[in-house]
Amino acid sequence: MRLAVCLSLVPDPATIDVDPLTGEIDADRTLYIMDPADAAALELALRLRGEGDTVIALTVGPAAAEPVLREALAAGADGALRLWDESRSATKPAVTSLLLATALRNEGLPDLVFCGWRSLARGSGKIPALLGEYLDWPVVTDIARLEIQAARVHFHRRLARGDRSEGEVTMPAVLAIAADGVRLRYASLPQLMQACRTAIPMRDLPDLGLSPLDLSFPASTVHAVTPPRPRPRTIFIPDSSLSPHERIGQILSAGAAPKSNTVLEGSPDEVADAIIAFLQARGFLEQPA
Amino acid sequence: MRAPKPTDHFDVVVVGAGPAGSAAAIVAARAGLNVLLIERGEYPGAKNVSGAAFYGSAMLNKLIPGWWEQAPVERYICRRDVILISPTTAVSLDFRSASPDYAAPPYNAFTILRPKFDRWFAAQAEAAGAFLLTSTVVDGVIKERGKVVGVKVRRDDGEIRADLVIACDGANSFLAQQAGLQRRLETHELSLGVKEVLGLEEAAIRERFNLSGNEGMVLEYVGAITDKARGGAFLYTNRNSLSLGVIAQVSSLVETGKRPYELLELFKAHPAVAPLLRGAKLREYSAHLIPESGWEMMPKLVASGMLVAGDAAGFCLATGLYIEGINYAMQSGMAAGEAAIEAHRVRDFTRHTLERYTELLWPYNVFTDFRAYRHAPHFVNGERLQNLYPEMAAASFERLFRVDGNAKQKILPLYLKAMRQSGAKPRHLIADLLQAARSYLW
Repeated sequence: MRLAVCLSLVPDPATIDVDPLTGEIDADRTLYIMDPADAAALELALRLRGEGDTVIALTVGPAAAEPVLREALAAGADGALRLWDESRSATKPAVTSLLLATALRNEGLPDLVFCGWRSLARGSGKIPALLGEYLDWPVVTDIARLEIQAARVHFHRRLARGDRSEGEVTMPAVLAIAADGVRLRYASLPQLMQACRTAIPMRDLPDLGLSPLDLSFPASTVHAVTPPRPRPRTIFIPDSSLSPHERIGQILSAGAAPKSNTVLEGSPDEVADAIIAFLQARGFLEQPA
Repeated sequence: MRAPKPTDHFDVVVVGAGPAGSAAAIVAARAGLNVLLIERGEYPGAKNVSGAAFYGSAMLNKLIPGWWEQAPVERYICRRDVILISPTTAVSLDFRSASPDYAAPPYNAFTILRPKFDRWFAAQAEAAGAFLLTSTVVDGVIKERGKVVGVKVRRDDGEIRADLVIACDGANSFLAQQAGLQRRLETHELSLGVKEVLGLEEAAIRERFNLSGNEGMVLEYVGAITDKARGGAFLYTNRNSLSLGVIAQVSSLVETGKRPYELLELFKAHPAVAPLLRGAKLREYSAHLIPESGWEMMPKLVASGMLVAGDAAGFCLATGLYIEGINYAMQSGMAAGEAAIEAHRVRDFTRHTLERYTELLWPYNVFTDFRAYRHAPHFVNGERLQNLYPEMAAASFERLFRVDGNAKQKILPLYLKAMRQSGAKPRHLIADLLQAARSYLW
């Protein structure tokens, strides 16, 4: 099985030093790290790797992005590849994913492509979707857990409010990983030193067989932004059969019924029976058969 | 998995990419040695806590000509104040110079922010050919038959072999202790510095400290700032921030039960300091140990296969008149680098050959300065100098300048009275004067 992991270098939020007086960011202090979601994706890919499997790390970026690939090599990736168009200073998600898709085709398509879901830098989550489009593969986002069972990937997806959904996808596929708890392994010294010394291969546009025209996407324009409509508030409507006085009382209490207590009196047996009956009536106890 | 084996062999492993370590790495790597520079922080300077005023411009200029043009420096220092304070009063000696020695290249001194400066300096070592390994903690030295043959780092298979280990791992060096060069330090030999960086607009800094352009200022305080604890305080101007901090002897913190941050708050609230800080916003807070006892606490600097430099060797000159460490760290690092080159030439890294390092520390003016001021640290941390005399000076000036309708007194009787009131004994005063003279005059 061949696995590819797409990595990106993002600013470390802990090192973003905002000058409290001017509000400017002190760029000299910002450090760049492997995106935490990408690191989780890499770690999961490394855990899945069995005998004879390979994990290849890819990134799109200038030479300054090499450390992210060295980190992947140090952690145990079998190979690394950097893609870049020297004429650019930054890439849009569409360009990034086209470069990745082309490189993956040229190098021999893998069985699975891992991405981090929503990077710290932009967090648009577009790369896996676009990559799936260019490769014409299925895409699964927000993956918290996965297992491989005979050419099928069994996964748990993270949904809103802590919900999960399970599903399966056949290989090949693009998987966007959002495993919060997964940390990239700590590299051993020999691997780290080796990674620091390895020359990282680079592919530019001619190497990939692309022309600059292929990458000239029309600039996207935002025409309007509509925030999601807030859910309508439910307004309490008083019972019209009541007297005005009682209706005012209901409106003032916003429909909340006043608390009612019942004090039971009698012998302990009678009281116990009454309590059991009460709990059964409310569904707290099952009715005796 | 792979068997644990020595993965690489280096000529020199330098532990700690601070000023000492990077300087040693630059010198050794330029001579073509295979140098590994190990840093525990994510980048050199990440773990650093230092003022910082750097007094070694001319010296660094020999290593990297025109360094201030490429390095991240804040301001060149042309003003220095030494201030004695009592709780209400401050008496200062103000020095300002526009002479070319101070205000023109190579300048005399700079204020720097160490996280930026150390990163730049280590990059120079990399450019010279040293191999920089960050985020890697060195746990100890590897010894074989009484000889240091490498270091053990906190990673799997983390053994690194080298002909020579240069320990530049800072104050309270575990490597020096492990190699049996340094004993456990006493609390009176170490000081604790707590420091803040406060953001302040450039224009406000110029106005408040009476500076123009890129001029900078260093203020050093002695007296009530540290309450009864022994120590001092400093305030440095950066480009658009102030570095300020309190340094207190660890043993006196224990005795007085004062907490370091209480002392810092006391300092910041002092009437002579508070107006300088008005409107400044906190950006960083940090604390670190400082080896202040100089000559007295210096460890053995050489073992077979190992040298110690920088703070690890106690090269911090704290005499009251000077508080310098970065320059001595670099000088000792350069000396260690040279010693490494000479040892490498004869392929002999035994103690005998490496003793060359201690010989080199004389022409590099490290030993000369520490020996010359060897009595000063003890004198500066004396109880009376710390607390009594600043108060006396402040009280007598207060009396001298006060006009209250009574007949004016001449200076001598006034001082004698201030002395009597503060309970200073003439015998002590004379003894301290002699001590001061021995420390500073000859």
